[in-house]
Amino acid sequence: MLLTWFTLAGLIFLFAPQRLTNKFQFTFARIFRWPLSIGRNFTLSTRAQQPLTDIISRRESQYQNHIANLREELLQERQKVKKLSGLYNRYVWEGVKFVLADVITVTVDESRGELIINRGQIDGLAKDQFVLGDNSIIGTISEVSSRTAQVKLVTDSTSKIAVKIAGVGRVMQGNGNTARVPLLPIKYKVKTGDIVLANKKPGFLDVPLIAGRVAQCKRDDENPSLWDITVKPVCDIERLNDVAVIIMNPQ
Amino acid sequence: MRWFRFAVFVSLVTVLQASLIDTIAVTNIKPDLLLILLVFFAIYCSTTEAIITSFTIGFAADIIIVGSAMGPRILSFGLLGTALAYLGRIITIRKMPYQSLAIFITGFLAGAMVYLLSLLKGQPTTSGIFVSLFGTALYSSVVGPFLFLPSAWWMRIRKRV
Repeated sequence: MLLTWFTLAGLIFLFAPQRLTNKFQFTFARIFRWPLSIGRNFTLSTRAQQPLTDIISRRESQYQNHIANLREELLQERQKVKKLSGLYNRYVWEGVKFVLADVITVTVDESRGELIINRGQIDGLAKDQFVLGDNSIIGTISEVSSRTAQVKLVTDSTSKIAVKIAGVGRVMQGNGNTARVPLLPIKYKVKTGDIVLANKKPGFLDVPLIAGRVAQCKRDDENPSLWDITVKPVCDIERLNDVAVIIMNPQ
Repeated sequence: MRWFRFAVFVSLVTVLQASLIDTIAVTNIKPDLLLILLVFFAIYCSTTEAIITSFTIGFAADIIIVGSAMGPRILSFGLLGTALAYLGRIITIRKMPYQSLAIFITGFLAGAMVYLLSLLKGQPTTSGIFVSLFGTALYSSVVGPFLFLPSAWWMRIRKRV
């Protein structure tokens, strides 16, 4: 009898809408936020005693991301000036709000890439907003509760974001620890190390920002007229302690 | 069964599984502490207690993966824990190699059930899931039996471990 009742409860959980069952998971993350954060910090400190070169290379990577973003902003501003000369146009980041959030948990494996952060609806967060880590786009908000939110990383197997690579727009799909950009004809010049920018999305991102770099670029096995491009994020997501959520039109 | 001790124990292990377990991960493969607990309670408790603990541990396993569908682990852990408890009436699983084998088989079956139930729910899955599932079951089966002794001490279970 007991088994029947518990099985029934399990089935109710299974078939209940996910937005309802997610509340249990967010509540857990909120209640145990403190021990979870401590555990994560401990994990980060024990995983590797960061040598000085690591810290320097991370800083360098942050600056390089920042420079790549500035270049793209500058390019876009120049294009706007060129096209709309004389017309009023506001600076791209004017009025934009960045909400800083601490990372509670990180889940990165072959199929999932997610973060739980300690900011939610009451801080102005909403679904699909872009998230920055080390000055680069690392993902988007996928679920949000009142005080916590879930970030789907660009490497998550279900993630699909519009990107700009070799000057053309494509969709980047998550692939576990990396991401892939399919269906790009080989007529476009792409090489390892090229930057991949998260494309503009009205209301969520008004200027392309760096999201990764081409880690591997070879001809597709099935269709040699297309590239098979592997993209790696430009920051070490597992080491991130805090992120910034971009709110383009704060209320 | 000391239910208060059980609640504290499961809460502690759930937090450990959600945060600190990454410290002992080997190439992204981590032991599943909740799976080890499931087998422990299924072996050392009465059938009724095993049913309650199995479903509770399944709930804990579901709750730590934010954004995933809830239910697959409740059902798989609950049903497999119950089956193991009934099996324990026929076969005594006391020696460490048998406990290890029980953890491995339960882990693999539970993972496969979670995979199938997630498919049923329409959750995305990846191709290499069975490799990671095998690794997790294997790692848990190696670590698991050594955690039975402290678990039995905390739960004040007097049966010989």
